[in-house]
Amino acid sequence: MDKLGQEWVSAAVDGEVDEQVLAELAADTDSHEKWRDYHMIGDAMRGELPAAINLDLSANIAAAIELEPSILVPKRVDAPEETPQELPQHKLASVVPLFKQFGQYAIAASVALVAVIGVQNYNQGGVEDAAPMPVLNTRPLIGSASPVSLQTGPVQQNQSYTNERVMEQRHRINTYIQDHMLQQRLNNSANIDDNSEPTPVPVNH
Amino acid sequence: MRFIWLALLVLVFPVSAQEELSAKAWLENMSLALKGQEFKMSLIHLQADHIRPLVYIHGMVDEHEVAFLEHLNGPPKNVVRVANTVTFIEHDQPAYSVRADRIQGVLPPAFAGSIADLESGYQFVLGGRSRLAGRPGQLVRIIPNDDNRYSYQVWLDMDTYLPLRYDMLNLEKQLLEQVLVVELIVLDDAPAILHEAYKQDWPEIMPQPQREQADNWQFKWLPQGFKILVKDNHRLIGSHEAVEYIALSDGLVNISVYVARAGETALPDELMTRNGLSLATERVGNAEVVAVGKVPAETLSRIAKSITIE
Repeated sequence: MDKLGQEWVSAAVDGEVDEQVLAELAADTDSHEKWRDYHMIGDAMRGELPAAINLDLSANIAAAIELEPSILVPKRVDAPEETPQELPQHKLASVVPLFKQFGQYAIAASVALVAVIGVQNYNQGGVEDAAPMPVLNTRPLIGSASPVSLQTGPVQQNQSYTNERVMEQRHRINTYIQDHMLQQRLNNSANIDDNSEPTPVPVNH
Repeated sequence: MRFIWLALLVLVFPVSAQEELSAKAWLENMSLALKGQEFKMSLIHLQADHIRPLVYIHGMVDEHEVAFLEHLNGPPKNVVRVANTVTFIEHDQPAYSVRADRIQGVLPPAFAGSIADLESGYQFVLGGRSRLAGRPGQLVRIIPNDDNRYSYQVWLDMDTYLPLRYDMLNLEKQLLEQVLVVELIVLDDAPAILHEAYKQDWPEIMPQPQREQADNWQFKWLPQGFKILVKDNHRLIGSHEAVEYIALSDGLVNISVYVARAGETALPDELMTRNGLSLATERVGNAEVVAVGKVPAETLSRIAKSITIE
C-alpha cells in the first residue's frame, strides 16, 4: 500500500472525495483496514471512542450480512449445471407451493359450497316434498311439539272434509306408522331397519 | 437379503392391502368391526327437522356382545343389549325386553349383518376419502339397482372400519336421514358401564305376540331382492283395528303391508313424511291395503296394487 493510496483513503475518511472514488474504495478490500484505522484515529482525537472497541466491526457486519437470509431475492438457478430436462422440474418445484395453497383454498371453497347447497337442500327437502303429495310431520321439533301438518292432496280436495274427518285420517295414518315402527322391534331378524323409535306421532285431538 | 425382502413385504402389505380392498370388502370389515370391536361413539342423528344426539358404546363381556345406547336430549331413553336381548328403558313405560341381535336407532342393523344379502338389490361402489370426526374416512356408496328404493352412503374409519357417517338419499340425491359420528374412541377393554349392564337382571323377554297364521298373501310384483319375512294378523296398537300383516325386507329396508277393512275415512293414496318414511293406500272393494316403509311412495303404491291372495 503506497503513500498515495493512504492519502487517498484518508481523504475519503474526511469526506473529501466524490462518489466514484468512494465506490472504488468499497471495491478495494485491502484499503478497508486503513479506512477503519483512520476512522478510529479520528474518533480517538475527538474523544469519541466507545468503552469497548470492536476492532473488526466491518468484518462482523460483512459476516452478519452473509448470514442474513435473502428473502426477496429468488434462489439463484445454476443454469450451466442443469440439463434441459431438469430445468422445468426445477421451475415446477418453486411453483408447487403456490398451487398447493391455491388447491387448499379451492377445496375449502368447494366444501363451503357443498355445505351451503347441502343445507339448502336439507331445509328445502320437506317443502319440495309438499308440492306433489301430502306431507305428514311425524316428529315434533325439539322442545316444542309442533302439530302434524297434513296438507290435503288432490284426493281429498273434491270431497268436503270436516275437521273431524281430517283428524280421524291423521289418527289412522299414525296408527299405521306406529305399528310399522313397533313391528321393527318385534321382528327379531337380523335385518331390522328402522332408526326411529315407535313414539306416538303427535295428533291434535 | 431375503430377510430384507420379507421385512419389506410385511411393511408394505398392510398398506397395499387396504388400497386394493373392494367396496364389498370394506363393508364386510365394517360388519365385523361393529360386532367385534370395543368402542364408544358420540353421534348425531339428523332428520329433516330433527336433531338427536346419542352415545353408543359397544364391547365384549365374557365373550358376549354388550351394547348401550343413550339418548342425550330430552327425557331419558336408553337401550341396552346383552347378546340377543335388547331392553328398552324409557321414561313413559316400564322397561321391556325383546329378542333382537342389534339395537335399532344408530345404524341400519344390516350393517352388522351379512353384506352379501344386500347384493341382490344394491351395488357397492368405492368413493373418495375425506376426514370425519378427526379421522380419515373412506366413502362407500350403496346404490340400488333400480328406482324402487333409496340410496345410501357410508364413510368408514380407515383404521377400525367403523362407520363415521351414514346418509340416506332420495332419488333426487337429497338427504333424508343422516347419522354423523362426532367422536369415536376405540377402547382397549369394555368400559365399566357394559360390565354393569351385563350383570344387571333385565326384564324377561316379552312373549312374542301371537303370530296367528295369516292368509296366504302373495305379491305379483316386488322390487328385486325383497322377500316376505313375517305374515300374521294382529291388532294395531293405537286403534285395535284387526289387520293382516306382511313384513317385507331387502336386507336394508323393511316394508310393512297391512290389509284391513276400509275405514270410514279414506287414507291418502300416497304420503311421504319428512324422515323418508312413506305410506301408500290402495282400496280394493271394501278392503284397503296400506304399505309403509322407507322407500319412495310410488314403490309402496306398486306393491300395494300387486298383492293377491292364493
